[in-house]
Amino acid sequence: MSVNEKFSAMRKGMLEFLLLQIIAADRVYVADILKQLSATEFTTQEGTLYPLLSKMRREGLLDYEWKESEAGPPRKYYELTAKGREQLRETLEYWGKINGTVKKLGQK
Amino acid sequence: MNKVITINLDGTAYQLEEGGYDVLHAYLESAATRLQANPDRDEILSDIERAIAEKFRSLLGSHKTVVATKEVAVVLAEMGPIEAEPDTSENKGESTASESTKAEEKQAPGGGGKPKRLYRIFEGAMAAGVCNGIAAYMNVDPTLVRLAFVLLTILWGTGVLVYLVMAIVVPEARSPEEKAAASGSPPTAQEFIRRAKEGYYEAMKGIPDRNARREWKRRFKRDIRANADQWRYNWHSYWAEHAPVHPGAGFALPLLSLLHGTMTILWVCTIVSLLTTGTFFGLALPANVPVWAAALLLFIAYGMISCPLKLARRACYRGLGQPSWIWSFVFLLDAVVWVGIVAALVLLAVHYFPELREAIHNLPSVVHQAADDIQTWWKGK
Repeated sequence: MSVNEKFSAMRKGMLEFLLLQIIAADRVYVADILKQLSATEFTTQEGTLYPLLSKMRREGLLDYEWKESEAGPPRKYYELTAKGREQLRETLEYWGKINGTVKKLGQK
Repeated sequence: MNKVITINLDGTAYQLEEGGYDVLHAYLESAATRLQANPDRDEILSDIERAIAEKFRSLLGSHKTVVATKEVAVVLAEMGPIEAEPDTSENKGESTASESTKAEEKQAPGGGGKPKRLYRIFEGAMAAGVCNGIAAYMNVDPTLVRLAFVLLTILWGTGVLVYLVMAIVVPEARSPEEKAAASGSPPTAQEFIRRAKEGYYEAMKGIPDRNARREWKRRFKRDIRANADQWRYNWHSYWAEHAPVHPGAGFALPLLSLLHGTMTILWVCTIVSLLTTGTFFGLALPANVPVWAAALLLFIAYGMISCPLKLARRACYRGLGQPSWIWSFVFLLDAVVWVGIVAALVLLAVHYFPELREAIHNLPSVVHQAADDIQTWWKGK
């Protein structure tokens, strides 16, 4: 089993965290998110993204707004709610802790 | 040359090659099934449709108006499979995945479905469903099996006993799976039942809003109906494939109809004669048999005699094989024969049987008599 396969469950779990990160930086629509992720280990597809985004919206972490696009019909632009920002802050903190633990363990 | 199908995605019409339409339809169906338990199901589905529409739009131009099958496949591969709930239900996701593969495995070998089992079937049963179950098991008309039991009783007096024993011993088909196993139904039927069982209650639980629930119910019913139609279609095509095609069936069918119709006229005349004069065309009833019992016996006798005719007609339908122009012609002829028979019946009744009106007048009193007789019999017990 390659490292890539071993971490697939973890990558999946972290996707929500990354979405918070991406959406916090700027108001984006799904194609933007896919583009940003496509350059990383976290490449994903619409089939995964839409259900996840709608779940996060249901939990009150983010919301969307319809915006006209230059070509074609309006698009959904996502942005974080206050709760989403709070969650992002907590997650970043926790991530920092985990990182610290990973580095510290095994050192004497 | 490829057939083109126009679809509506996110309010815009797109033209797809037929193969592409099938692929897209299957993708959206499976997405809908996977999202059944998701409260945002409709929203996610429309998001997905919109995303697909956007990809199609980028493929088309002023000279290219039809999306090819291959392009649809590429777009859907880009979309990726719909994941029900990406993070909260890792286990659930896995279990449904394994379930669906299991279901596929079940259907895979030859598409034959499960082996048949003998059950009693209550739907359309006359007593305990034994004959019905046997008929489903042996793939014959239940009336034939019932007839066999009646003959068994008349000739050797054992039919009733066998029936009672079977009614106790043979299990009743309660669950949909059992019902499917009873007739060894084609895979679509099983698939339809499996989906129905899996999805319906789960989804109902997950939908909080009453209107949304009603909408979902409506859609579910429509799906079920479509599935049932598919099932029926498979059933028919199965028969059409397996029955040998007799060119004579087309001629035999109207003749059989004529015979059947003549018998019906004869039967109606007998009933009229019985109700008006209390005799079979002058032949007196035994003294201790009331008129209503004789009429009942007549009904049963007619049913028994016309049954083989009915079966023969059904065999003719099957003998015609795959639908073709012959079908419409034969059906037209058949319909004409039937209309002729009914018209003749009405004319005969009006012109030559003034007793008919009398019989209709007598009908309520006959019914009353039957009710009274049953009542006295009940009290006497």
